[in-house]
Amino acid sequence: MLNADVEVDRRDFTVRASIAVPPGGRLALFGPSGAGKTTILEVIAGLVAPRRGRVVLGERVLTATSPPVRAVPPWKRRVGLLRQDPALFPHLSVRANLAYGGTAGEPELAEMAGVLGLGGLLNAMPARLSGGQGHRVALGRLLLAPCDALLLDEPFTGLDASLRRGLTDLVAGLVTARGVPAVLVAHELADAQAFADRLAVLDRGELLQDGPPDEVVLRPASRRAAELVGYLGFVPVQGLPEGAGLAGIHPERTLPGAHPDHGVVLTGTVSTRRPAGAGWEADVRVAGTVITCRLPDRPPDGEFVLTALDPPYFGPDGTAVPAPDRRPEQGRGQGRGQVRG
Amino acid sequence: MSVIVAAVIWIALLGPVIALLTHLSWSAIRSSLSAPGALDPLVVSLESGAVTLGVLVVIGTPLAWLMARGRLPFPRVWEAGVLCSLLLPPLVIGLLLIFMVGPYTPIGELLGHLNLSATNTFLALCLAEVYESAPYYVLSAQAAFSGVDPRLEQQAQLLGDRPARVFRRVTLPLATPGLAMGLSVAWARAMGAFGAVIIIAYHPFGIPLQIYTTLQETGLASALPFALVLLVVALPLPLAAYIWSARAERRRRG
Repeated sequence: MLNADVEVDRRDFTVRASIAVPPGGRLALFGPSGAGKTTILEVIAGLVAPRRGRVVLGERVLTATSPPVRAVPPWKRRVGLLRQDPALFPHLSVRANLAYGGTAGEPELAEMAGVLGLGGLLNAMPARLSGGQGHRVALGRLLLAPCDALLLDEPFTGLDASLRRGLTDLVAGLVTARGVPAVLVAHELADAQAFADRLAVLDRGELLQDGPPDEVVLRPASRRAAELVGYLGFVPVQGLPEGAGLAGIHPERTLPGAHPDHGVVLTGTVSTRRPAGAGWEADVRVAGTVITCRLPDRPPDGEFVLTALDPPYFGPDGTAVPAPDRRPEQGRGQGRGQVRG
Repeated sequence: MSVIVAAVIWIALLGPVIALLTHLSWSAIRSSLSAPGALDPLVVSLESGAVTLGVLVVIGTPLAWLMARGRLPFPRVWEAGVLCSLLLPPLVIGLLLIFMVGPYTPIGELLGHLNLSATNTFLALCLAEVYESAPYYVLSAQAAFSGVDPRLEQQAQLLGDRPARVFRRVTLPLATPGLAMGLSVAWARAMGAFGAVIIIAYHPFGIPLQIYTTLQETGLASALPFALVLLVVALPLPLAAYIWSARAERRRRG
């Protein structure tokens, strides 16, 4: 189990976060660039001293700022950190890189090289490796070293999508097999979702929400968390428990046409549209605000009706409130609301 | 066209060496080098050069590392200090060394109590060579250490190595080609040290002073063979360092 409760002063804000990852658990810290995600990893790795905090890995207290004070140096932590730059030792062969931190014998090394698809490259120098191969060597080097927790700081950014997906699956599998806790830092939601079984949303040093990825994406705890996971429009609605509020509209959770059973029906006018992948993306003016939606077909000119699928609702203070239909006095499919532009 | 331009510049720069090689005759070399005690200065130069290199490695390497890693407050001040001794003409260094370690200074008196003297002794020769060559080594060692990505050192620590081990396994091997180049330049400076040496360590003779006195006493022709000796003993180390670092670079490229 990895427990980290940290408070670190940054130039313009303080990073405050408390995370807990069970053995074999995969937590993704997700948030915009500069939110303080990397700082949390660096505190866990012992590279940054927190102003206040406590890091416990298994039975070992690695950092404690309250008595008894502890600051285990990085080389005694047994925490692996993989960054975007694989940081292979350029003067050592792939084999020597893999064996660097390890007490692993040749059979173990050969097995790891096999798992990572590096079998034929053991005698190559790092300069000869492709980006994906370099990351696999760096990963193998961590896993062959004594490693009780794995920290991944946007490790595969910059690699192409299929390579990234493959490596992410590989790491996720190895983490589960090893039973070590793993923390991934990501600023792309898809990367975080592909890896994690738990998602924590961080913004300006504050942990906004922490939960299963589906729950965080479909039921963001606040308007800010919703914005970060991709809700681009917020439409005023009536009839919420607290009265008026906003429905969060995610571009990928909209359907053309009126489907009152599946969410909120919105009527507006298309202001701009552009091709996006195999479909279309359109900005639709609804109730004085503009929402963005992804559609399979080109939306028509003039009035346009669409349905936002089961959107999250936010009260005037920006925190999530229950959907109207969740109130016991209303039956399913009733009172889902309709908004006209 | 560019090759021709480069060749002209290159030959012009090599002019003195070419002049040396074209003006030497075998008989002059033989008669100069076979005189009794003619090669004693060579031994003195090699010994003092070796001591100088040892001192530079021991005192220059840690300073260069600290400067490169930004562990020192006001980094520019430290660099300027090292540059200062580079900017001082060697002759001036020699004069100032007299004021620093001469027999009537506190340091000189302290050395006197230990039956040592820092003027006209082997110690004085080494001292002069150290002061003439130190900035060349420290500045190139600093550049060599700066070229080692701190993230590699950090990664090595996270893989379980304490800092001293990281230095030995990562920092040093990666900086070695640069350190070797710096050391070989310093060696060449130490071998050819003259300005400070003539002031503070006229005795014992090294090769540069031998060239100078031979020139004064018997003329240009008999001084030239010693210039060849200087070239021959000063050159192999830089050359070896160059070849070795080029090979290390090639090996790294795989």
